[in-house]
Amino acid sequence: MGYVAVKGGTRAIEESIKRLKFERVKKGTVLDVHKIETGMRGLIDQVMSESSLFSEILAAIAIKQAEGNPEEAVFLLRAYRSTLSRKHYSRTISSEDMLTERRISASFKDIPGGQILGATTDYTHRLLDFGLMMESEEEALQWLEGFEEENGQQENVTDLAKLPKVLDYLRKEGLMPECSDDDREPDDVTKKSLEFPSTRSQRLQILTRGQTGALTSLAYAVIRGYGALHPTVGELRVGSLPVCIDNPFNQYNDEDDSYYIGEIKATETEMLIPVTVEKERGKKEIKFEIGYGICLGQNETKAIAMGILDHALQTGNKEYPTGDEEFVLYHIDSVESTGFISHLKMPHYVTFQSKLDSVRKTKKQEAESKEESSLCK
Amino acid sequence: MNRRKRTGILINGSTELAEQLAKEIVDKYEVIMIEEPNPGLVMMKMRETSKRSLFYLGEVFVTECKVQINRCLGIGILKGNDPKLAHHLAVIDAAYNAGLIETFKWEEALLLQQQEINRKKQSFSSAVLKTKVNFETMDVQ
Repeated sequence: MGYVAVKGGTRAIEESIKRLKFERVKKGTVLDVHKIETGMRGLIDQVMSESSLFSEILAAIAIKQAEGNPEEAVFLLRAYRSTLSRKHYSRTISSEDMLTERRISASFKDIPGGQILGATTDYTHRLLDFGLMMESEEEALQWLEGFEEENGQQENVTDLAKLPKVLDYLRKEGLMPECSDDDREPDDVTKKSLEFPSTRSQRLQILTRGQTGALTSLAYAVIRGYGALHPTVGELRVGSLPVCIDNPFNQYNDEDDSYYIGEIKATETEMLIPVTVEKERGKKEIKFEIGYGICLGQNETKAIAMGILDHALQTGNKEYPTGDEEFVLYHIDSVESTGFISHLKMPHYVTFQSKLDSVRKTKKQEAESKEESSLCK
Repeated sequence: MNRRKRTGILINGSTELAEQLAKEIVDKYEVIMIEEPNPGLVMMKMRETSKRSLFYLGEVFVTECKVQINRCLGIGILKGNDPKLAHHLAVIDAAYNAGLIETFKWEEALLLQQQEINRKKQSFSSAVLKTKVNFETMDVQ
């Protein structure tokens, strides 16, 4: 059987795209992009983080176009991002400069600056609130007014922009070794393909833009037994990080002469992982290692999962798949994994027909040899 | 006032201030558009706290504009899609770079705006700090 090249389907594709729009608007309601941006914070943050692009409004448009499907929204944003030029690189951002709105530690009760819960679902009952069906904007505005009055202006003793880091406290106490700045320029996985062994900067960049579900599942596997880790959240903080760029005409890159461009929301975690170290004369000692996680927006599970995987990859125990950087880093990107899996539904007529040909040929040969052997008898 | 502080006030404060300052310049001087407000990206470089090494956190969507006054370039750049504010920021930046006399009188308005930003920040902090946990040790029976 020969292969026949075919073309066609243009009309069907056009009509299929029309049906896609029909499905989105068929009930006669059009979602307001501004409402998506303000009311779907969790999804916006997830899409921005997995797209590796911070822009709430672009994420809202992508979510509307993708009808709330995060993998499609991430695909749309990554595609749009590729049409834009990268104008600048920021000055180094440090989480010490974060204006914190939530900060907790699961390891220490009394952390300098205190445990600040901020906005969290951690202590909610998870009972479906049917009252939301009838919620009106008027009611929401009234509630807001009351909330603002309730808070008023108070003299704050704690400066949320200067909260000390739990790690610094541990380092000062001598419970963790001091660490000096490593100023080597990072690699950029969007400019140069990943090669193994990977660098730390490549690993962190891939993890932070990874798919939330994929990171969470793999980190869960690490704790359940495929990595034998028992981590604790040393510190988790959510807040705004200021972003500045250097003045392109100032060769000294003076901070005072830089341009402030705005702030971005991020979630950062430092996971503390106890490790037993063998000392002289067989004496064993426990020391703590750190797994680092950070991502755009408020994505706490993802940031914690990143911290766990960062440590697993740093240790690199090949006994477990989660210690194999090729296994982890090649499979957690949303566009790469969903793109590959979903491409399987695109026409594969030629490749499948060639496989079918092979099967037919084998069957024919088997039948012929059977026939020959029966004739010999 | 240095550029870092000035751009911080103009972006975080009321957009009316940037509009008003830029108007003072546009009405009086020839402002040449070098680069119309256009979208782009800024890649964010981050220092992690475990090994204190550097890596790229991701990109932020920005609007950027460039203008020239008296042969001095001004850059206006900010997060998000805001061509108008990017233009105002560029004009103000060029005015400072050209050392225009108007800029000497702007300090007071900028400092007033800074006070307003601080007031809002204080109010934000008060609300957030209400969620600070006050631990109480339970009695042992």
